[in-house]
Amino acid sequence: MRLVYHLIVLALAAHTAWYLFREKDFWKQAGAALVLILFLLRLVLVK
Amino acid sequence: MSIRRTSPFILSALTLVVCFFSGREFLAMRAADEIRPGPGLTAARRLSDYFPPLKGTPGDTPVYVFQGPAAGGSVLVVGGTHPNEPAGTIAAVVLAENIRTAKGKVLIIPWANASGFTHSDPQEASPQRYEISTPGGRRSFRLGARVTNPVHQWPDPTIYVNPGGQKLAGIESRNLNRAYPGKPDGSLTERVAFAIMALIKAEGVVLGIDLHESAPEYPVINAIVFHENGADLAATAQMSLQAEGYDFRLEASPPNLRGLSHREWGDAAGIMAVLLETANASHGRLKGRPSAALVVDGQDKFYEKAAKLGRLFVPFGPAGIPLDERVARHLAGVSALLEALAEIAPAKAVSVENIPAAPAVLTQGLGAFLRPPD
Amino acid sequence: MSEPLVLLVMVGAFAGLTLRFKLPLGVALALAAAAGALAGGQGLALRHLVEGAFGFFDIILILASAMIFMKVLEESGTLDALAAAILRTFRRSRTGLLLTLMLLMMFPGMITGSSLAAALSTGPIVAPVLLKLGLPRARTAAFVALGAVLGMIAPPVNILVMIMGAGVDMPYVGLTLPLLIISVPVAVFTALWIGRGRMRIPPLDELKTLLPGASPSFKLYLPLLLVPALMILENIHPRGLPGLGLPVIFLAGSLVGAVCGRRFNILKATQRAVEQAMPILSILAGVGMFIQVMTLTGARGWTVLAFLSLPPALLFAGLAVGLPLFGGISAFGSASVLGVPFLLALVNRNALITAAALSALAGLGDLVPPAAMAARFSAQVSGEESLAPVLRACAGPALALLAWSLVVLLASPILERIL
Repeated sequence: MRLVYHLIVLALAAHTAWYLFREKDFWKQAGAALVLILFLLRLVLVK
Repeated sequence: MSIRRTSPFILSALTLVVCFFSGREFLAMRAADEIRPGPGLTAARRLSDYFPPLKGTPGDTPVYVFQGPAAGGSVLVVGGTHPNEPAGTIAAVVLAENIRTAKGKVLIIPWANASGFTHSDPQEASPQRYEISTPGGRRSFRLGARVTNPVHQWPDPTIYVNPGGQKLAGIESRNLNRAYPGKPDGSLTERVAFAIMALIKAEGVVLGIDLHESAPEYPVINAIVFHENGADLAATAQMSLQAEGYDFRLEASPPNLRGLSHREWGDAAGIMAVLLETANASHGRLKGRPSAALVVDGQDKFYEKAAKLGRLFVPFGPAGIPLDERVARHLAGVSALLEALAEIAPAKAVSVENIPAAPAVLTQGLGAFLRPPD
Repeated sequence: MSEPLVLLVMVGAFAGLTLRFKLPLGVALALAAAAGALAGGQGLALRHLVEGAFGFFDIILILASAMIFMKVLEESGTLDALAAAILRTFRRSRTGLLLTLMLLMMFPGMITGSSLAAALSTGPIVAPVLLKLGLPRARTAAFVALGAVLGMIAPPVNILVMIMGAGVDMPYVGLTLPLLIISVPVAVFTALWIGRGRMRIPPLDELKTLLPGASPSFKLYLPLLLVPALMILENIHPRGLPGLGLPVIFLAGSLVGAVCGRRFNILKATQRAVEQAMPILSILAGVGMFIQVMTLTGARGWTVLAFLSLPPALLFAGLAVGLPLFGGISAFGSASVLGVPFLLALVNRNALITAAALSALAGLGDLVPPAAMAARFSAQVSGEESLAPVLRACAGPALALLAWSLVVLLASPILERIL
């Protein structure tokens, strides 16, 4: 199950990064960056 | 290139920078604390020696064995079931660094939930470490989280049904003191619980002591929580503690509260199981700024005010409740329980020398009973 | 800087950034948290900001996957089909229709203990039905939001009570009746109150035009059956499944939905779902940071103590205001931070009834800004652009829930004897 969750987070991180680059509004990009921090740190199993 | 075009790159770089610096701090918690067991140590084992599948997992943790020359019973002392309750761990470390066993055997686990020591509870803003001064320098210890690190046990179920069949909020699946008697093929936390049960059975433990702390606003505090198997023992110990000036409440382990050490150690292994609680301001909800000083000195202006309002279950003055005092209580409790065991079951008595006396800990400070760092 | 001043800086920064500079809520919360850390003399406290956000990591995963599920249902045509089917079945009884929709709305919350799961899983089914009946968008959203909150409170699973129980070592046993007493009367009232006034049930031939193409095949409903089935299975037989968790359940439903209905591009749909979820995901991250800095600077302790310092006569007023207000940051946070001390302060009363009532008050927080999670999502599934009209429409039933919870709390000595 842990592997499944790892894949889910990987997919969400990819989507979030994609959103960050497509979104025009700077502050919305910043909001996505906040979320991306969480996905990345869990992805590498640091936090 | 306009700002609009470059901002995603800037933000991505910033994201990586934040990940790097915060990640470095998070990872700093992974290094284990030092312990220097005294000359009374007869064997240094790992919990995985009792349950090999635990080997190499973040749940494996040291077990220190103090075997006396004369035959007697076996006693287990557990600290760090909840890594955010430091008096339990420090009392176990102080015991391991000082005691000699004359009769019977003492087993000490200072960091029962080893994984819980590798992270901090979100939104509790706890310091990662605190220091205790010894005559030869300062010793640093980790203050962990109440539960297993989610990195080691992920994901949480929506609802956790523990081995005793109790339904709990999902996060409790990582609470060692809800996971007893554990499961050999369960989650990491359940496997740790299972390994501790295996140790209890393999070592023929007769008395298990689980050292905890609770928030000053919590009713079960300065207490001995006992399984009915240990009712006489707890009552005897309480009387002698009272005579020494230590007020301990007696709390019977509720039979419908499953998964806790004082319930399942008794039910599943038939031993006398007790849990000791002291009052720790640093993990209460009323605390002011959390800090290493709050952990060690135990002073807090909000708790002082709450005491005046009658909201607490312990007295709380300007001097607070320092770690010295909390550890001293635990040591007094352990001593009294060992004496009570000798009285109630002489054949199973465990005789231990050199347990630091509570008054000495109070006057000389904890550091006097910890070995200096390298 | 003293604790109340730090809190003032944080709230002030948040208000200024959102009202004056129109920053998104998530970013504003994060910046307000950083300002609080600086004002509290803690520097930037990077570790604390990130750690706080992780407090909602699991909820972020649930939300993101539920949004994907919702998008899939929309794209595959399942939602339209089901809305039409419900309308056809309950053509003759409006009360029956409203009560059925309320139960449907509450159901995922009852099973998962999460209002978001409800708003996101059956919200998209219930909302179109109400809209087709001619209910305004804001009132539709209010129906969905209150159903979600009531579902979170209703038994068998109430995570808010579990959180409070964990703080006082109260086992989660014997709560079914108290929770039913709290939730059922308000649910009936809410359904009938929001559904009051003129409502038009479309005639049968008009319904036919609502149906997607030919009569819908059974396959279309598979994802809708699978998700609650897995939720129930996990609840009644938790050891049978390898702890799937809500994110996997929602994504399993999405996969089934992607192959069972109208064909669509799943990657694009997922992208759009993440896009729509992003503001709320960043609010959650920001709220987590905000709470951690409140704790870090002592502002949390000050807040809890301020409520506990109230004289006994005002204690009930304090909890009636404090729990929903803090719930506006996070309902779960409110149950943990304020619910536990309040439960301890009322220790001489029946703990089960008290915890049930306190959970309802904390749960109400999901309708209170700044986060207003349930209301925000309900607005989204109902196609209502702004939050304010939804909150206005929620006000009546929300106040009813507040009042009823207080009545139950005050009457707990009497109720205890009856139960």
